[in-house]
Amino acid sequence: MIELGFANLWRTKLRTILTTLGVVIGIGALTSMISFGTGMERNITEAFKNNDLFNSLTVTARKIDLERIAEGDVSSLAAQMNQGVASLNDSTLALINEVEGVDIAFPELTFRAKLKVLDKEMEVTVAGIPKSLENHPPFNDITYGSFFDNDSSAVVIVRWGTLKGLKIVVEDPAEPVQFKFHEKDQDFLVVPPDSLIGRPIQVTTAVMDYSNLALNPMQLLSGDRSIPFKEKTTTFILGGIIKKKSQFENQSVKGSLFVPYKTANKVPRLGFTNIWDVLGGDSKDDGYSAIYVRLEEPSYMDPVVKTLKDEMGLNVFALSDQLKEVRRGFLILDGILGAIGTIALFVAGLGIVNTMIMSILERTREIGIMKAIGGSENQIKWIFFVEAGSIGFVGAIFGLILGWIVTRIANQIANSQFMPAGEPPVDFFYFPIWLILGSIAFSIVLSLLAGLYPAIRAARIDPVKALRHD
Amino acid sequence: MPILEITGLVKSYFKGDIAISAVDDISFSVDKGEIVSIVGRSGSGKSTLLNLIGGLDTASAGQIVYDGKRISDWNRNELATHRRFHVGMIFQSFNMIFTRNALDNVVLALVFGGCPKNQRKARAKDLLTSVGLSERMYHKPDELSGGEIQRVAIARSLANEPEIILADEPTGNLDSITANEIMELLVSLNKEQGKTILLVTHDQETAEKISDRMIYLLDGKIIEDKKINRKSEDQ
Repeated sequence: MIELGFANLWRTKLRTILTTLGVVIGIGALTSMISFGTGMERNITEAFKNNDLFNSLTVTARKIDLERIAEGDVSSLAAQMNQGVASLNDSTLALINEVEGVDIAFPELTFRAKLKVLDKEMEVTVAGIPKSLENHPPFNDITYGSFFDNDSSAVVIVRWGTLKGLKIVVEDPAEPVQFKFHEKDQDFLVVPPDSLIGRPIQVTTAVMDYSNLALNPMQLLSGDRSIPFKEKTTTFILGGIIKKKSQFENQSVKGSLFVPYKTANKVPRLGFTNIWDVLGGDSKDDGYSAIYVRLEEPSYMDPVVKTLKDEMGLNVFALSDQLKEVRRGFLILDGILGAIGTIALFVAGLGIVNTMIMSILERTREIGIMKAIGGSENQIKWIFFVEAGSIGFVGAIFGLILGWIVTRIANQIANSQFMPAGEPPVDFFYFPIWLILGSIAFSIVLSLLAGLYPAIRAARIDPVKALRHD
Repeated sequence: MPILEITGLVKSYFKGDIAISAVDDISFSVDKGEIVSIVGRSGSGKSTLLNLIGGLDTASAGQIVYDGKRISDWNRNELATHRRFHVGMIFQSFNMIFTRNALDNVVLALVFGGCPKNQRKARAKDLLTSVGLSERMYHKPDELSGGEIQRVAIARSLANEPEIILADEPTGNLDSITANEIMELLVSLNKEQGKTILLVTHDQETAEKISDRMIYLLDGKIIEDKKINRKSEDQ
């Protein structure tokens, strides 16, 4: 019976091939669309994971109701700021480090500064980090150079991408960087790592210039626009350069330039170091404004949050909740992309219906003969289902191959032409096993549905009339 | 003992508003092992009668009892079973599937009959050999002569071992020598395998030579039902 179905398909090769091609294009469109959605979702999820959003949290001394402030309600802000709080000092930090499930906790300390390397300047975020981070990514694998050896050292670490922002490309002579076409006309300074490691770099910060303060508001109105800041420059030694290994790699520690945190504390700068300082007011005096906590496993999130909040009276801010929102967004994106692909597949389904009905009209007499020699309605339906189902199956296989090839090419073009040089490639498309099996199943089910009406019609043919048919 | 009993059988259809009875109140019975010829002019209702007995068509009134079962009450699925296992049909226009070779045509009937896959080919070859086509089984119908095609049709009709063969003008498209060979093949099936044969023909002369009984039809009614002495047996 199955052989008979195949033989019938083979008899009208061109028509079968064209019908199958419709399914191939439909499945190709569907799978490449969905694979783009799942690819992006995977990239973003991985970015979340690599950025420690699943297993990190920020502890602040004071509870700030960000939602109310965001809504414009600042009336309670003063009250919040004046309430008595647990302070974040070294003993609190030590206690947090003792909580089960905490991998490492260190004070969050970042500020903006101008970085000057080889006479090139750019504004960057400087982060103070403890030496204890040396065994944690990304600092456990420094691409060129090495980590600093104490918290008061003048040795700093910079990101490779930050130097590239300064038009300095650090290149291992053994592995030259391939520039992309849109970067060709840019004027990069290509240097070996040795020419930077161990050399001094300058960091310039803004400090309050009390001599130039506008004491009288009228002074501003009168046209005296000199600002009450001046610049201070500190010189460090460049110890190491870290390069990303994948596009969505660990960025858990914010910042472009990493300075030992005791050294960072001494860098002269404006009074507030980060957003928590602005919102938290005077807490800097008796400790840290915020502590960054990284967990051993994401599963420790709930118990650690509970301990910090309930037992230590600290305020905890975790971003992992945001991922649920992101996931829902991607579900909608997948749905839209899938719907577009499904339209193509439905058009292909109509093609199958058309082909099968044509086939019945051509084979009316043959169906009559089959009935005359004892073929039952179910057996005749089965023949037509085999035909429709095999169009769906073969179409799905080649459609997947087509979708895969198209997405590979698109990925190749996107990576070679549009991604910055020297950075690891991104996989924009992703074919999970559920997509492969699901699209085959979907195609077969749709083909069988398309074959349903023709098969029933074939099975119901009156044999006496069919045998008279030419 | 009758294998087939037909009483008051009517088949009518509408042409516009006028009801035409192709088969009009026919009653007769056929014994096991008989060769019965149904003769009459074109349009006398012979083929319609055969289609009713073969379960391809359903009666308007009356009943057909086959082997004690009233098949005129059966639904489409039961009739398919009847066609598959109890009757073998042969047609003037052969009704071969022209895109498949002789062997495949016979195999198809075996597929419908539920013959196990590993036995189909061998059984189809045996059947084709028994009708004298051992050399031609891989030929498609359009590479075979009319007589050869009709032999394939006979082999196919025997696939699921029916008790009765319904032959609708089996020699109508054949020359007289080939026609005689086909008739002899049918007679041998009757003699050697005891198949009951119902033969529709307008060739009265040949029918008289091989039949046990002749039924004459005119305008859907039986006008004569006579027993004859088979001349072929006398020789």
